[in-house]
Amino acid sequence: MASLLVGGTALSPVDVAAALLHRQADPAIVTIVWQLRLPRVCIAGVVGAGLAISGAMLQGMLRNPLVDPYLTGVSAGAAVAVALAILAGVSAAFTPAIGFVAGIAAALAVAALARRGGGIDPTRLILAGVSLSALFSAIVALAVIRAQSSNYAGEIVAWLAGTMAGRGWRDLAATAPYVAAGCALAAWSIPALNALRIGDVRARTVGVDVERAQWGILAGASLLAASSVVLAGMVGFIGLLVPHVARRFVGSDARAMLPACALAGAGLCALADAACRWIVAPAELPIGVLLAFVGVPAFLYLYLRDRTAS
Amino acid sequence: MIGLESVALDVGGRRLLDGIDGSIASGEFVAIVGPNGAGKTTLLRAIAGLHPPAAGRITVDGRDVSTMAPLRRALAIAMVTSDDVLFEALRVRDVAAIGRFPHHRWWQWRERPEDDDAVSSALHSLGLDAFAERFVWTLSTGERQRVWIAAGLAQATPVLLLDEPTSHLDLRVAHEILSLLRAQTRTGKTVACVMHDVNDAAAYADRIALLGDGRLAAFDVPDRVLASDVLEQTYGVAMQRLTLPDGTTRVFAAVDR
Repeated sequence: MASLLVGGTALSPVDVAAALLHRQADPAIVTIVWQLRLPRVCIAGVVGAGLAISGAMLQGMLRNPLVDPYLTGVSAGAAVAVALAILAGVSAAFTPAIGFVAGIAAALAVAALARRGGGIDPTRLILAGVSLSALFSAIVALAVIRAQSSNYAGEIVAWLAGTMAGRGWRDLAATAPYVAAGCALAAWSIPALNALRIGDVRARTVGVDVERAQWGILAGASLLAASSVVLAGMVGFIGLLVPHVARRFVGSDARAMLPACALAGAGLCALADAACRWIVAPAELPIGVLLAFVGVPAFLYLYLRDRTAS
Repeated sequence: MIGLESVALDVGGRRLLDGIDGSIASGEFVAIVGPNGAGKTTLLRAIAGLHPPAAGRITVDGRDVSTMAPLRRALAIAMVTSDDVLFEALRVRDVAAIGRFPHHRWWQWRERPEDDDAVSSALHSLGLDAFAERFVWTLSTGERQRVWIAAGLAQATPVLLLDEPTSHLDLRVAHEILSLLRAQTRTGKTVACVMHDVNDAAAYADRIALLGDGRLAAFDVPDRVLASDVLEQTYGVAMQRLTLPDGTTRVFAAVDR
């Protein structure tokens, strides 16, 4: 609700309620609510839920609490493509699709490098993800330097910092099939994620097809992360932080963990987006920047407290 | 019934075991013994379908384990491994409940009454009722070992394989576990167990499979295995034998003092 109230034009709860119900509302307010803020709240929810579920799936598969969704190379791959597309003067209408395709291609490259036998080697996945991401980041840096001579540098940096400005129902509809596929794979992987908590070898002994589960989890996590990147650019820390918080409250059972991640991720992202629009209104803070300022201390606090407790 | 036909097992490109033939009947307790590195765990993993044979065939009730789907295999064979890896803060009951995985389809997320019964019964038989809600990481190594065995029992399979199940247990608990496994065979469950103590193997198992020099050196009833020279050749140490009042044999490494 708070997300619907704040922005360039401050609205009262009564205005928003009236606009939502179409009861004798001011047409301008109806437009603001239905065409600008509501799609943005929904996008923030989808981005937050997608990143949190994606992070929880990868952390569970790799049994590593320091893994985040961007380990798959999705964001770095998308960033390179989007930066080069902006530099080449490609219309902004095409950048989400270009980012999505490049993100998925990068995830496939990371998966191919991490492949061992029929499955995925966790150590290779982390090494491949970190290495390719570093390479892509260097290319993005070059693109930004080159863009400084033109007017494109600001556009690239804004995308890298994460923003939902200018996104609408059409963007949400375009990513909906991929988000749905990612969520379906997340639901399918829940029993395997639970069994993988006791290790790959033991999971095999209870009948988990570990290789198939790994590919399903990686595909689902990549689809959700790529969809989020397309909708909001680089939004950090949700995929790392939210699974930690959810695990603390509901435990590690994926039946409770993944829905809890979805709710907490959606709520946090929507709240952060509202704060970004409110803090420097009528301008906007990049959501990636705000989440890094809040997320880093929160993550360090949780991680160090866990370590001290154990 | 477990069948092994001319089984050869490779590890790291090297032939570890070759020409393994034999069968284990339903309701039989077989102990697999041998020196370190003889291939005991590898053989157990091969029977569980986790290590494909380089040659030969391993069957459970006539079905080749290497071609069985993972879920179908897990309904036939449970394996209690000796590695102790935990990522999450799991409670004892959660771990035992994971043994019920093969009894569910992927969309069946909720435990059914028969799952609760199987888990409770497994925990009770291992003396873990009071530990059910404890986090596994708060338990001793021996207690954790019992939790893994409980998960294997909760899996409710006709074949139970165990890799050194008594390695971290004190004398009394080891006796309780081996007696429990022995009792399981009376319900028709087949138990194959890697063990280091040949006297424990002799006391509880129906037959002993002795591995050494890359082959199955002996596969017979305990007294015959313990009485044969093969034991000394396999371990490379002189043995002293002691006949107990009940006529059974025990062996000890001969020690010069």
